[in-house]
Amino acid sequence: MLRYVLSDSGHPTVKMAAPRSWALWSFCGCGWSRAVSGCRLPGLRSSSPRGPLGARLLSQEKEATETHFGFETVSEEEKGGKVYQVFESVAKKYDVMNDMMSLGIHRVWKDLLLWKMRPFPGTQLLDVAGGTGDIAFRFLNYVQAQHQRKQKRQLRAQQNLSWEEIARKYQNEEDSLGGSHVMVCDINKEMLKIGKQKARAQGYKAGLAWILGDAEELPFDDNKFDVYTIAFGIRNVTHIDQALQEAHRVLKPGGRFLCLEFSQVNNPLLSRLYDVYSFQVIPVLGEVIAGDWKSYQYLVESIRQFPSVVSQF
Amino acid sequence: MATLLRGVLRPLCAFRGGPGPPAGVPFRAVSHGTGLLYPEHIPTSVLQKVLLAAGSAGMALYDPYRHDMVAVLGETTGRRTLKVLRDQMKRDPEGAQILQERPRISLSTLDMGKLRSLPEGSFGCAYLHFLDVNRVSPDTRAPTRFVDDEELAYVIQRYREIHDMLHTLLGMPTNILGEIVVKWFEAVQTGLPMCVLSALFGPIRLSAQSLQLLISELIPWAVENGRRAPCVLNVYYERRWEQPLQALRQELGITEPPLCVEGLA
Repeated sequence: MLRYVLSDSGHPTVKMAAPRSWALWSFCGCGWSRAVSGCRLPGLRSSSPRGPLGARLLSQEKEATETHFGFETVSEEEKGGKVYQVFESVAKKYDVMNDMMSLGIHRVWKDLLLWKMRPFPGTQLLDVAGGTGDIAFRFLNYVQAQHQRKQKRQLRAQQNLSWEEIARKYQNEEDSLGGSHVMVCDINKEMLKIGKQKARAQGYKAGLAWILGDAEELPFDDNKFDVYTIAFGIRNVTHIDQALQEAHRVLKPGGRFLCLEFSQVNNPLLSRLYDVYSFQVIPVLGEVIAGDWKSYQYLVESIRQFPSVVSQF
Repeated sequence: MATLLRGVLRPLCAFRGGPGPPAGVPFRAVSHGTGLLYPEHIPTSVLQKVLLAAGSAGMALYDPYRHDMVAVLGETTGRRTLKVLRDQMKRDPEGAQILQERPRISLSTLDMGKLRSLPEGSFGCAYLHFLDVNRVSPDTRAPTRFVDDEELAYVIQRYREIHDMLHTLLGMPTNILGEIVVKWFEAVQTGLPMCVLSALFGPIRLSAQSLQLLISELIPWAVENGRRAPCVLNVYYERRWEQPLQALRQELGITEPPLCVEGLA
């Protein structure tokens, strides 16, 4: 169900298949095929595997001003506003609902993302659409644990400490994160507010910054970050290609782009069960727990609208 | 094994609800704009209604302040009863007029100035007094969403909007005890499953003393009045603001409450 898309920033190899229309799926299947010229790819471009960014093939129509909002068709200007409203209303119950809808499994997915990332002390992370801070907190825990392990190793290897080192430890001047830092960037004020409250409640202070910003136009300089993550956020972006360009810009050469997102279920039996669960149960959960049917209907629809990552290309 | 599972899953597809979208297209694809029966309508399948009914019942018990859950429970469980109520309304001349004209009760449709100028003892004056004392407003009723028939959606909306009128007629405040008494009256009058469930399970959170009062005096009184009164949905309240409250009560066969419920529970 999940795919991790990793690519070095030097080679833009993110591939997107045609948006999933029910009739076409059985023909387009798993193969990456540029013959799907009949499909409009609103907001997406295909990129050639080795060419520089400048030589991208623009297969979208320049005048495409309509895009999808779940299964609705809306104008591109509208989509941003509508997505903002969805997350504004779900912010308070976002974490509770994640637990309810995924039966707590989303925590495992996010842990797996961190293990895939394997950050070391000193890593500069940018977590986009990071709203309530799940990835950021996990990152901080991870690097802190790494740093502590490193310190223990050092102590064991070096039994005699100098007076300066002992004094420093007493004064707690050492950075427990070893220079790591995470910027949580989100377009939605409510989500950031909840994230900040969580950070205060759980005691995260150092190495953390909360920035209000748009994934399509990041408020950061070029070549600034080692890792860029976007967990369950990219499908809500109106122009995914712009978000990817920005990611490429702010990452250092050799930096990594990690995207955690829902994918398609290939097994037909599981797929049916998954559909029933998504469309029948999740909006009901949204209504009963959060008093908001429509936002959760949008969320499950947006999962279906997100193009699948093709495995062979 | 696979064929067995497929056999189980096929009826699940039927849960996508009635005729309409082909099997592959998820349910909501139909409901954007064109499939809606009324502005706030959210089409739901049978499975969704069952889940909603169960979930809303549980949540309403768990958190009594979730009035929206009680409303959802009413919408998802009341289809049959609403049809009966609608037919009752059609048979009565005043009720039929209400169904035709579809009056709505909200701050924008009520002429508050006119109501305030009415003489003491009139129904309109008593209604205003009730709103003021209990600090409620007619605008807090959520719109109907899960009823799949436009006329029935109006019927349940009307039922919700006259709830405050019933409080006025029965002389019950909006504390828990008062609400339960009104629910018993409504349960007998309308037979809506949501009213019956609220009437039966509402008292769970009461103190022993209130419970005793409820069972010995208030419930018998409410049930007796509910049985005696004609269908309260057939009364065109908006045309009766000037009518004296006592006269309206007599017309509906509603007697004075056996004891003062203000300040109790």
